[in-house]
Amino acid sequence: MKILIVEDEPKTGDYLKQGLSEAGFTVDLARNGVDGLHLALTESYELAILDVMLPGIDGWGVLAGIRRSGKDMPVMFLTARDAVDDRVKGLELGADDYLLKPFAFSELLARVRTLMRRGSKTPTDPFLRVADLELDLLRRRVTRAGQRIDLTAKEFALLELLLRRQGEVLPRSLIASQVWDMNFDSDTNVIEVAMRRLRAKVDDAFEPKLIRTVRGMGYVLESPL
Amino acid sequence: MSAAHLPRLSALPLAQRLTLLFVAIASAVLLGLGAVVASLVEQHFEDLDMEVLSGKMELISQALHSVANQQDLTGLAHQLARSLVGHHGLEVMLLDADQTVLFATANARFEPQQLVAKASPHAVLWPQGAQTYRVLTAQIPTAVQDVQGRPQKVFVAAAIDIGHHQAFMQAFLHTLWWFVAGAAVVMAVLGWWAVRRGLAPLRAMRAQAQGVTAQQLSHRLQVESMPIELAELAHTLNDMLARLEEAFGRLSEFSSDIAHELRTPVSNLMTQTQVALSRARNADDYRNVLESNAEEFERMARMIADMLLLAKADHGLVLPQLEMLPMAQEVRAVLDYFEMLAEEKNLSLQLSGEASLLADRLMMRRALSNLISNAVRHAQVGSVIRVELQNLADQLEITVTNRGETIAPEHLERVFDRFFRADSARHRDSEGRSEGTGLGLAITQSIVSAHGGSIRASSAQGVTTFTLRIPQRLTA
Repeated sequence: MKILIVEDEPKTGDYLKQGLSEAGFTVDLARNGVDGLHLALTESYELAILDVMLPGIDGWGVLAGIRRSGKDMPVMFLTARDAVDDRVKGLELGADDYLLKPFAFSELLARVRTLMRRGSKTPTDPFLRVADLELDLLRRRVTRAGQRIDLTAKEFALLELLLRRQGEVLPRSLIASQVWDMNFDSDTNVIEVAMRRLRAKVDDAFEPKLIRTVRGMGYVLESPL
Repeated sequence: MSAAHLPRLSALPLAQRLTLLFVAIASAVLLGLGAVVASLVEQHFEDLDMEVLSGKMELISQALHSVANQQDLTGLAHQLARSLVGHHGLEVMLLDADQTVLFATANARFEPQQLVAKASPHAVLWPQGAQTYRVLTAQIPTAVQDVQGRPQKVFVAAAIDIGHHQAFMQAFLHTLWWFVAGAAVVMAVLGWWAVRRGLAPLRAMRAQAQGVTAQQLSHRLQVESMPIELAELAHTLNDMLARLEEAFGRLSEFSSDIAHELRTPVSNLMTQTQVALSRARNADDYRNVLESNAEEFERMARMIADMLLLAKADHGLVLPQLEMLPMAQEVRAVLDYFEMLAEEKNLSLQLSGEASLLADRLMMRRALSNLISNAVRHAQVGSVIRVELQNLADQLEITVTNRGETIAPEHLERVFDRFFRADSARHRDSEGRSEGTGLGLAITQSIVSAHGGSIRASSAQGVTTFTLRIPQRLTA
């Protein structure tokens, strides 16, 4: 699971490297476009994260170089520029994702995992499980410790998302986007309320607690064992 | 110099342009008047000449009628010589059939052949040396008979020297030209002066407008002393200044609001972090600080994103990606999103109406989400929030109504202002999240205007309604 980061801002680069390393990835960090492109062409990575504004060769140039060499690793852009044109340009050049600065690290992590998961198709299992919680996708039924739990459609979707991404901290914006198709960061506490209700049904009467709030970041579902 | 290098009329200063037009028109009128007068005078002279000539012709004709033989013809010469004495400039010549001169006045130097060749029932002009004559010719039969027994005809030519008439006309035209030229110069000077005087209010206006700077947007043009046409312009400019002043004021206010809004979280972050670092603490304390910081950062990031969106919308950079949206479906999706939040307050959400709209889906959802979020926040527990879609003539009206505290009129007109909160104290909900950046309704307004629509709020008797109107364009 090797990731290449090309980022010239020292702090951003260091923290990205630390964050991703701690999340279990092997990370190489290049401080400029020339080194970045060299690394991308000589080593083998499963993902490249490129800053757009770079000394030497900019992010577009690095991406173009990677694509010219025939490598088809997924590429994610990080940028403070959010003009529609830039976005279109990045995607046209073959970028796979585009993240605006400032971003939540949990959001970045979630997207990195999505990009790396792509391609490696897992056989579809109609059951999602964690500890004694089981979610039956076909019959749309949830049981915990053998007890049936009634969930509304949205609660079910929310739990399904948490189960599919277990162990990952899911930021609120990602949850809103995945469950309700609300692709913007609104300042309501809808997600908090939804999580509270889900926990009341899934966690309150049971032990151990599976859903955890990570303050300032989001929510994570994981077996504490 | 080619035509391209000549200044075009429309590029000349107004004063020069008006003066030129004025001079051109006045000169044309004067020249036209001169031409009419000249032609009338000339006609009059011709009439006078013709009167004299035809009188003389009548006289000669009568004299010839009394001629019965050759002797009478000879006698006729004396008779004519007597009766024509005293007519200055009048020349008469009589020719017989062989073009022999029967009679000619003293100065008549016409060539008989030429005279006969010029014969015409009308008067003709004939330059003869230094003089010009008007000549009238006729063939008059006499009582004398020729060999075949037909009456012998006498060719008569009466001519009048029109030199003095011509001299007069020439002098008249000469004077006319000089007069017109002189008048043109005088009119140019007077016209220039008049135009300058007439445009003086415009210069006064310019001088006043020069006093307007970003710091002095309250400055207004004085309308009272202006002519009515300029007063209208001045009014329009004053209205523009008023709008600019207001916008500028809002912008300044917005900048200071931004500074204030950002200062609060930064100050929280600094204080909290510095206090935490002031001595060694256990891991839980550090975690607490970092978590709290993460929340503040999230809030700041959201605020910056919102402000960027607003700034871009203000510059018209947000180009919505238009698609045909089934609005009832869109509203339902947003209501779905707020469903759980509404249940917490025992609110019910109702949608009525059906419509489709060419709009940007993401932005429209965001606009609706802000409105409904606002309604949910202020709704009275147990009440109903209604969203209505209504097709008007060529626009879609969306109303969001909630029951709750009436918004005071002075607050109502400010609800779309950036960072405006009716309650200046900041609320935090049970999970410690702030109640929002105060940019939500401003963003909704921006989105609606980006779609060419308008939004207004009304509140009375505990019912608050936000009304959106967006034009329903048929093509993208």
